[in-house]
Amino acid sequence: MELCLNRQPRPLSRRDMLRGSSIGFGALALNSMLTTESPSATLSPSIAKAKRVIFLFMHGGPSTLDLFDPKESLKKNNGKPLPYDKPRIVSSKTGNLLASPWNFKQYGQSGAWVSELLPNISSITDDLCFLHSMHCSNSRHGGALLELHTGSDTFTRPAMGSWINYGLGSENNNLPGFITINPPSSHGGSGAWSSAFLPPRYGGTMIRGNSKEMKIPFINNPLTDRSKQRKEIDLLNALNQEHLTKHKFNSDLESRIESYELAFRMQMTAPGIQDISAEPAHINKLYGSDEKPTAEFAKQCIMARRLSESGVRFVQVTHRYWDSHGNLRAEHEKLSKEMDKPVAGLITDLKQRGLLDDTLVLWGGEFGRTPVAQGNNGRDHNPHGFTMFMAGGGTKSGIQYGSTDDYGYHAEKNPIHFHDLHATILGLMGINHTELTYRYAGRDFRLTDVHGKVIKDVIA
Amino acid sequence: MSLLGTSEEKPAKFWAFIAPSEPIAPNVQNAEWPVNPIDNFILDRIERAGHGPSEKAEPRKLVRRAYLDLLGIPPTTEQLNSYLENKDPNAWSQLIEELLSSPMYGERWGRHWLDVARYSDSNGMDENIAHPEAYRYRNYVINSFNQDKPFNQFIVEQIAGDLLPAEDSDKQREQTIAAGFLSVGPKMLACDDPDKMRRDIADEQIDTTGRAFMGMTFGCARCHDHKFDPISIEDYYGLAGIFMSTKTLNKYSVVAQLHHHDLSTEEDKERRNKITQLEKKISTKGIEEDTKKKLQDEVSKLKKDLTPPYEVLAVTEYPTKDVRVHLRGDYQTLGDTVPRRLPPAIAGQIQHPMPNDQSGRLEFARSIASEKNPLTARVLVNRLWRWHFGRGIVPTPDNYGTLGEKPTHPELLDYLALEFIHSNWSIKSMHRLIMKSATYQQSAFTDDSLKKADPDNQLFARWKIRRLESEALRDSILFKANLMDLKMGNSMLTASKHKYANRGKLSEHIKSNKRTVYLPVMRSSGYDGQNAFDFPDPAMINGNRNSSTIAPQALYLMNSPLIHRSSNSLAKIHKEATTNVSISNKINWMILHILSRPATETETLRIEKFIHTYSTDNEIAAWAAFARTLFASNEFLYIE
Repeated sequence: MELCLNRQPRPLSRRDMLRGSSIGFGALALNSMLTTESPSATLSPSIAKAKRVIFLFMHGGPSTLDLFDPKESLKKNNGKPLPYDKPRIVSSKTGNLLASPWNFKQYGQSGAWVSELLPNISSITDDLCFLHSMHCSNSRHGGALLELHTGSDTFTRPAMGSWINYGLGSENNNLPGFITINPPSSHGGSGAWSSAFLPPRYGGTMIRGNSKEMKIPFINNPLTDRSKQRKEIDLLNALNQEHLTKHKFNSDLESRIESYELAFRMQMTAPGIQDISAEPAHINKLYGSDEKPTAEFAKQCIMARRLSESGVRFVQVTHRYWDSHGNLRAEHEKLSKEMDKPVAGLITDLKQRGLLDDTLVLWGGEFGRTPVAQGNNGRDHNPHGFTMFMAGGGTKSGIQYGSTDDYGYHAEKNPIHFHDLHATILGLMGINHTELTYRYAGRDFRLTDVHGKVIKDVIA
Repeated sequence: MSLLGTSEEKPAKFWAFIAPSEPIAPNVQNAEWPVNPIDNFILDRIERAGHGPSEKAEPRKLVRRAYLDLLGIPPTTEQLNSYLENKDPNAWSQLIEELLSSPMYGERWGRHWLDVARYSDSNGMDENIAHPEAYRYRNYVINSFNQDKPFNQFIVEQIAGDLLPAEDSDKQREQTIAAGFLSVGPKMLACDDPDKMRRDIADEQIDTTGRAFMGMTFGCARCHDHKFDPISIEDYYGLAGIFMSTKTLNKYSVVAQLHHHDLSTEEDKERRNKITQLEKKISTKGIEEDTKKKLQDEVSKLKKDLTPPYEVLAVTEYPTKDVRVHLRGDYQTLGDTVPRRLPPAIAGQIQHPMPNDQSGRLEFARSIASEKNPLTARVLVNRLWRWHFGRGIVPTPDNYGTLGEKPTHPELLDYLALEFIHSNWSIKSMHRLIMKSATYQQSAFTDDSLKKADPDNQLFARWKIRRLESEALRDSILFKANLMDLKMGNSMLTASKHKYANRGKLSEHIKSNKRTVYLPVMRSSGYDGQNAFDFPDPAMINGNRNSSTIAPQALYLMNSPLIHRSSNSLAKIHKEATTNVSISNKINWMILHILSRPATETETLRIEKFIHTYSTDNEIAAWAAFARTLFASNEFLYIE
């Protein structure tokens, strides 16, 4: 028959789906609600440990040479020229080698090196999985940021949070599956949480504002009396049901009726999750939300935990702005202070709650910084070698994977490109990165494009 | 001279590369039904699948459908009644003509094209630079639709308008503005490698041009021969030479700057030159005070009433250059030089060499706009069909390659393509043809067996209801609340060229009462409400918008400032319009106003109760709540 020309399967109505599904309505994702689009990837949930991700994004490019990657040669040769050629493409003019102004010590049983800038993170190194050989392809913030978030510094592609949301759906009916808290508006903007060609429901929801008021768009009802809005929705339901009797077998109309109930529930659920004032004092103390330099980022980390434990698949928090071209000492000292305690607090909190086992925490920036100085107190962008770390979610804890060269410029041993990082994150979630595809513009796209290898050595 | 192939060219096998041939409209059993040949092609399939077409939709539904489809807003009650009272047998044709001559038509259908043109008022990507002059291109598109500019001319202007001869300065401006099509794309502007930047920009232009006009994914051949379609890596670099000989940026260092044409009048240019000269003199050392004063007076006289420069964002030419094949897409691993040329699959094996003094864009544009191009007319008529019906005859309107889907009605597609060419590429003629067909006028109510057998409406045996696009939704609400400002918009951007777009202003822009097409489109940012309703990512061409159903849409319709502002405004209008009438008449007024139909008895009773119990002391709040409910209802949100 002629109809066979079309490849799309016949869409099921909501009733078909509920009838055909043993999990019932409660297990259907909010954003993938009542749709039949399912990715082609093979999931292997038995191997997968990670169910959700919290990405602590350090916008601007922290100097990981000054945080996690001490170099003896750099220290000894302070002020001397780099003994090999600088890369062909650089973003700024740089001079000679600049030793780290900070002291390092080894911590924990794993003996990980951490600088004095991070007293709290240094106390939890045995829970961390350091990736010392990260590299990417772009030497500018925008390009590298998009590469980190989407895998491409050339084209608009879905963010990794969107891919994961598309691959696994949401765990919670009443919340979006991908939320990003106060993301950068520059250097890619919503490109970093966009669904691009994936269906829009997989894109990130941005929560704006400061820690006093972080909220999902349009979540607040301008009417103060909720019973009034209930009356409106009841009337709306009656009108829509009447309309539906004339348009049977239309899953769009059916799901829209349900979407108002979901939105109404979301309105009741979200403010509770968004309200971090209910947290007890010891939690505030743990994250540092009770004192000045840490309060802002601490509150965002608490919010991330609350969203994550409510079933939001991918939560991102951004801390900024690590771009120390000229005032490295003062800036990195200040930024480290703001970031250190909340990050250590979050990981400790997750661990205490038993959530760290299936929550993958990722920490890092779009690139690192050069061992050669810019001016006399700064470092340029360095996409060639830098450190990120992971924790929980089925990663090996207390390990240090890969390394940079003697001066910390290039990833040398076991280099990890962002594509490999993406492949590994998907792997930890039980998704084979070569099989999570979406057909667009005549070809099957992947988060890892035609690249990416899973770093098996970091998976427990 | 012909750029196109001769009999020596190898025949392309895939359907899309075979030129359309005049199909014969098939005979059908229900010979009474067809109004024009479209219906024969459609009914033939319906009958062969063992079904029949749906009944004609009732007049009030048809009027609403036509308004929403062509203008993107529902009719007023007066407009509705004037159609229902028109007993002329040509009433439907008259309505179509009336709507096609409304300036709101171009705002609606121009926006469809802007989706394909991946139009944006800012660059997005890594450095979100403002495009304060891009609005001229947007308005050019709207005007072109309103003028029913022949589509072949529209194509050539957008790809090579800056190279066309112009009889006067207005024409020159218009044509140059059109070439902004190539400039408004997304670009990485902060790249430490200018060679990569140039190649990526050319690549974006090749890919967008190929997909927008021909449904061809040339981009795939950047690294290797196209795996599925007859495009080789050499074909790609033949085109790349054309776009590498085209200048999009003035400066490639970080942050790169877009090229603008200064198309001010000669008189203004002269005045500006003179001012510069005088100011130079004034600032020379040792100038006498008297002379200085005189010159300063002269300058201020010249500056008086001087209009700002007329700047146009569009590409221009570079010295021509053929490029070498980049093996695996890497510009540091080069293969043989390929002379600038067009892909043989669309332009034949035998082609005149490209001019030495021009990039070849004009030749490329003319080859796309040629009636001999097997793809162009088919791609456009299919886009129009998609925008009318919510589904294309080729269901993948941006991809006609092997990996796209095949047409469900290939003969109909060819018929429409040839009709389009015969009508001198007139888009309005196609609207008339399509909307007058019995196919278009079918009802959405139909028997269940058809819906079950054909849920996607591949047979077009009924009207499949579809949700309003984000713009039509916002415009319809503003219009019904009597808040809409119908004047054409200019640029709302406050940032000047080469400066960063100000995202903070988005919350200001969205408060505007202009039609949504006039709100600045910002890449890597956007309006929450518009994004929730599937406004497509303006970094990518999109001729087939998504239509999702997600909870954030419900939140928008329950809580957004737009919905509350509009429902409150409408409640006040309602109060004035319905003094001294019964409550059931008041209810009827509102339903007729928003949904273009009278209220039923059951719903009148229900709503009466709602109004009485909603608020005991604030009647206007209750009517606003009722209006809100209607704006959020499926009947309002879907074109039926």
